[in-house]
Amino acid sequence: MNAPSPHPAAVMHPEVPDDRRVIFENVSKFYGEVLGVNRVTLSIPPGITGLVGPNGSGKTTLMNLIVGLLQPTRGALSVLGVTTDRPEELFRLIGYSTQYDAFPPGMTGYQFVYSFLRVHGFGHAESEAMTWKAIERVGLVEAAGRKVAGYSKGMRQRIKLAQAMAHQPSVLILDEPLNGLDPMARAEVISLFRELAAGGLHVIVSSHILHEVDLISDQVVLLNGGYVVAEGEITGVRDEMEEQHPAQVLIRCDRPSLLASRVFEQDHVVEARIHEDGKGLLVRTRDADQFYLLLNQVVLENGLGIETVMPTDADVHAVYQYLIGSNGEKS
Amino acid sequence: MSEIVTQSVSVRPSTGNLPWRLWAKQILAVLRLELRKSFLGRRALALYLLALAPVFILLLRVLLGGVNDAGDTAEATTIFSAVYQGFLLRMVIFLGCVAIFGNLVRREVLDRTLHYYFLTPLRREVLVGAKYLTGLIVATVLFGLSTLVSFILAYLPHEGVQTFLFQGPGLGHLASYLLITALACLGYGAVFLFFGFFFKSPAIPALMVFGWEGIHFLLPPMLKKVSVIHYLQSLLPVPMSEGPLAILADAPSPWIAIPGLIVLAAVLVTVSAMKIRRMEISYEEE
Repeated sequence: MNAPSPHPAAVMHPEVPDDRRVIFENVSKFYGEVLGVNRVTLSIPPGITGLVGPNGSGKTTLMNLIVGLLQPTRGALSVLGVTTDRPEELFRLIGYSTQYDAFPPGMTGYQFVYSFLRVHGFGHAESEAMTWKAIERVGLVEAAGRKVAGYSKGMRQRIKLAQAMAHQPSVLILDEPLNGLDPMARAEVISLFRELAAGGLHVIVSSHILHEVDLISDQVVLLNGGYVVAEGEITGVRDEMEEQHPAQVLIRCDRPSLLASRVFEQDHVVEARIHEDGKGLLVRTRDADQFYLLLNQVVLENGLGIETVMPTDADVHAVYQYLIGSNGEKS
Repeated sequence: MSEIVTQSVSVRPSTGNLPWRLWAKQILAVLRLELRKSFLGRRALALYLLALAPVFILLLRVLLGGVNDAGDTAEATTIFSAVYQGFLLRMVIFLGCVAIFGNLVRREVLDRTLHYYFLTPLRREVLVGAKYLTGLIVATVLFGLSTLVSFILAYLPHEGVQTFLFQGPGLGHLASYLLITALACLGYGAVFLFFGFFFKSPAIPALMVFGWEGIHFLLPPMLKKVSVIHYLQSLLPVPMSEGPLAILADAPSPWIAIPGLIVLAAVLVTVSAMKIRRMEISYEEE
């Protein structure tokens, strides 16, 4: 299908000024003749932004371009109004936890965070206080004095996260930050992301775990084969797709057959199926708003008893399936 | 939204408006990090062994030769001159500089840790300067100490050492050898730092330089000028014969040799700094 890709500024919080955004202007990156990303135009406001796409779709390339680890072949980008050729300013604004599971040899968790704060230019006392604060936020205080080489995968992820946010950046970029974390740590880290985003930070997260991206993201950017195939708030992206992929709604109610007879009269309803247990109706419609109006009407006129109304394909997983497909093939 | 946005303010190090102050702090921070790695890391062991090699040889001579059989200090001067020029300068310092400076950036790429520096508000050119300075400190300390201890061990078994040192040219010789060691680290260091940026495997061009420096005595006078050893040799307090096949050329004066080596180092470090500005991190290609 043609991906719904309206101009981002029209979708993603137009009230936020450009100097509070991460902006890609027609950015392309080629590795020789191999495409990294192509013609990416994005304008990312504060909040949690999920980058979603199969392996090789360009998520890491996009993140590396933001921080200047890669140079764009074409186009320009800026972070809160600062371009990547001004490192003294840029890297006070950005913290980046990369996918690389590598650390300077021989360091403890504390030394790792502290040493790079000193490279930022902070003094000893400031660095010490900021190091402990960051380590505390990721729950590694007890392990701070141990060598990073002896950490578990989850602990290494958390110390990288601490290092990325220790200097209190405005934009936090995290490449697969939930990899290797146990369920408890995942919940804590997700809660931390929410807390940071609520404080006005940009938190840009890539993940292949769609359920988690859906859970934490205020907006998503879907990538496939180096192209942005969709972006915006997930509900907005889903609404744009209604014509080609009708919305599915499951209504748990006491008289599904009555509801089925009423919805079949509507042009926008393409399918209505009574649930296997006989206590619900699954409706596919090209106009969800009209359907919800009708549902209200049926409740008022016929006294229909409703238990739940649940959209079943309005999450990032469904959007991903429709746009990219389970194998990463764009449909 | 705007209310929330205004809460997000970056913490800035308190440096005032002078970038030089910030750069000085950052260079010191890089030095602390790098010196710890260089002196205390596992890879330092090979360097220590290399620096100890001439010391070990001269120590064996002391232990096996015995003090009583030794001649006067003239013999020691010949022995140390041969060890210094033939082994310490041409082998130990050269190979040590390949290992130290060739890996300053290259090793971080292979270890996948260079991005940690690139993600700080540290100008990449300043990083190159700080890394080079680290290499220079490590190499000068290690090989300077090696030169000093070797010198002491070379003269130890001989009679009249005190007179040679304090009333003769001894201390002057020692100062010259230490200066040559420092300048060798400066010159070779800049060459191998440069190779670390331009070659995936700096060992191959380093081997070519090793060969070039090795056949230096056979080169015509014009080509001799394109070698580091030519300028270093001119500073030696005790000139050594290069054999009957050597093509003779006028040695440059110290007033040309010393500034020449400093300029060479400055140019190569500057080119390396220019290279790092456009450097991309793509560890997968390594």
